[in-house]
Amino acid sequence: MKARAYAAFTVNAFQSRLAYRSAVWSAAFGDLVFIFARIAIWVSVYGAATSTMTDGVTLPQAITYAIIAGPVLYWDFARLLHDVGTAIQTGDVAVYLLKPLHYPAFLLASHIGHFLFELLLVVLPVVVIAGLTYGMVPPASLFHALAFLGYWALSFMMLFALASLAGLAAFWLMTASALEWFLMSIMTLLSGGLVPLWLFPGWLAAIAGHLPFAWVSYYPAAVYLGRLDVSQTLLYFAIGLVWLAVLLGALAWLWTRARHRLIVQGG
Amino acid sequence: MSAIIEVSGVAKTFRQPKRLPGLGGAIRSLFSRDYTEVRAVQDVSFAIAPGEAVGYLGPNGAGKSTMIKMMTGILVPTAGSLSVLGREPHAHRMTNAAEIGVVFGQRSQLWWDLPVRDSFDLHRHIYEVPEARFADNLAFLTTMLGMADYLDRPVRQLSLGQRMRAEIAMALLHDPKILFLDEPTIGLDVVAKDAVRKFLAQINRERGTTIILTTHDLQDIEEICPRLIMVDDGKLLFDGELPRLRAALGSRRRLRLEFGSDPGPITLTTARLVTDDGAAKHFLLDAEDTSILDVLTELGSGYDLKDVTLEEPAIEEVIRTFYQSKPQRAAEAL
Ligand SMILES: Nc1ncnc2c1ncn2[C@@H]1O[C@H](COP(=O)(O)OP(=O)(O)OP(=O)(O)O)[C@@H](O)[C@H]1O
Ligand SMILES: [Mg+2]
Repeated sequence: MKARAYAAFTVNAFQSRLAYRSAVWSAAFGDLVFIFARIAIWVSVYGAATSTMTDGVTLPQAITYAIIAGPVLYWDFARLLHDVGTAIQTGDVAVYLLKPLHYPAFLLASHIGHFLFELLLVVLPVVVIAGLTYGMVPPASLFHALAFLGYWALSFMMLFALASLAGLAAFWLMTASALEWFLMSIMTLLSGGLVPLWLFPGWLAAIAGHLPFAWVSYYPAAVYLGRLDVSQTLLYFAIGLVWLAVLLGALAWLWTRARHRLIVQGG
Repeated sequence: MSAIIEVSGVAKTFRQPKRLPGLGGAIRSLFSRDYTEVRAVQDVSFAIAPGEAVGYLGPNGAGKSTMIKMMTGILVPTAGSLSVLGREPHAHRMTNAAEIGVVFGQRSQLWWDLPVRDSFDLHRHIYEVPEARFADNLAFLTTMLGMADYLDRPVRQLSLGQRMRAEIAMALLHDPKILFLDEPTIGLDVVAKDAVRKFLAQINRERGTTIILTTHDLQDIEEICPRLIMVDDGKLLFDGELPRLRAALGSRRRLRLEFGSDPGPITLTTARLVTDDGAAKHFLLDAEDTSILDVLTELGSGYDLKDVTLEEPAIEEVIRTFYQSKPQRAAEAL
């Protein structure tokens, strides 16, 4: 494969974002407001809660969870969905078929570029500010710190696969904005980004804990805090990999169908 | 030389579920078995040899873009067989894509937010063009197309003419064997059109790049393409050289005779009178082999003839007559 070409897409996505530097400020400001609001909620919840309600999690841990599960893991997948949806609606996706390129791989390469851009220019500053203001606890152990890195990469790929799948569905449903709204709602509820799974009712936590969304926010943050022991950490990483394989398989299949539809039916 | 593109009996029928109005309709049409069929291309055959420049001409909806899309591998024919560089384009999408260049006048392939130069650089990676070759091509194309001024500007800031030149340049950076262009001169002003035409003719002549272009502008064809393929309603109407088309249509040349004073009515067998302004009379020469001499001989020397002009019909007129001469078109017009 043309590794150089895909690396160039990553670099170019990064560079093209520099053209809209002012957007960085509004994105960072938005993230800051959001994270401060959520931390404020935790602080007031902890003021009134008993220890059974918080499942043995301390306030500094809850704040750390909010910072990690929020801005760190939850990148702007709407851009990806939007990219795919627009390419389909305008027919520009045909342009990618004209080039010796694999479209999903192109998407992955360029969104890694967007991700790195946001990480460096938005997320890190926000985390530093929030961390300095409220304090963050360190990873539970060296093992958990290393495992978190693996989970982080898995989280990115999982959200990439989910958003690309939703984007490609626009081929049949012809509306990316409804899909965006749908995915956004599901993610808010089931990823654990807003409310950690340990605060869910038992049955819902059991279901959500085995759906791929939980690997986007909940598991990486929970591993960071040491809520999973070594064997659980490894086990759930393996389950996550299986989910990722399933989603990437579905993505490849859906792309084949979409391409077929494009070149047979003409879009 | 053997053909670089072979199209035989190719047809494309678009079959789309009937869309019913409203939300309920949209949901019902998901399950409906009702289809509308559009026969965009029907039984088209032609072969193109390496180094040719072919103009693909036809009115709106004639199936030109559809044919280009099939040859570039982004549409599959419903029937017939199609081979480009010895391969079925859609079945070998990647290999085919690497060896052809494509420009869609209506659809940009440049990266919108990036400077032109960066788009070109991405292209180099995608097509794995060797560095030295790329530098040569870039220098050549930049000079030829006059792009030096805007190579470092983002694509979104370019004028249409600048962008189109960049599109064409990009399509040529990897030395494609065939260049497909779907309406490359659309929306360009006279100067830009001229630059693009001269450039394409030169590329075809000097590099031997095979060119296939669709257009509505007949001058594109006159200046770039010795060979013309004409389609209408998806069907092939004509395939051959432009002068042959004129001949096939019985190119009705127009003869203008100007007299010192009104000679009164004149009737000739070699030429048909169409307008009579007294001292100036216009005739049409219906027969292909009638020469001016024949007309003048028949006219004799008894007139005070001041000036004789013979006009070849403009190609627009030739084409118009051609479209209009088709019986079903005439019937529709009534
Ligand atoms: N994806 C599609 N689905 C359904 N019908 C289509 C599709 N693409 C083209 N058509 C129809 O096929 C016919 C030929 O279209 P095509 O775009 O090839 O025409 P064209 O010769 O390029 O016209 P123009 O000069 O206007 O560009 C038209 O009737 C068009 O409506
Ligand atoms: Mg067209």
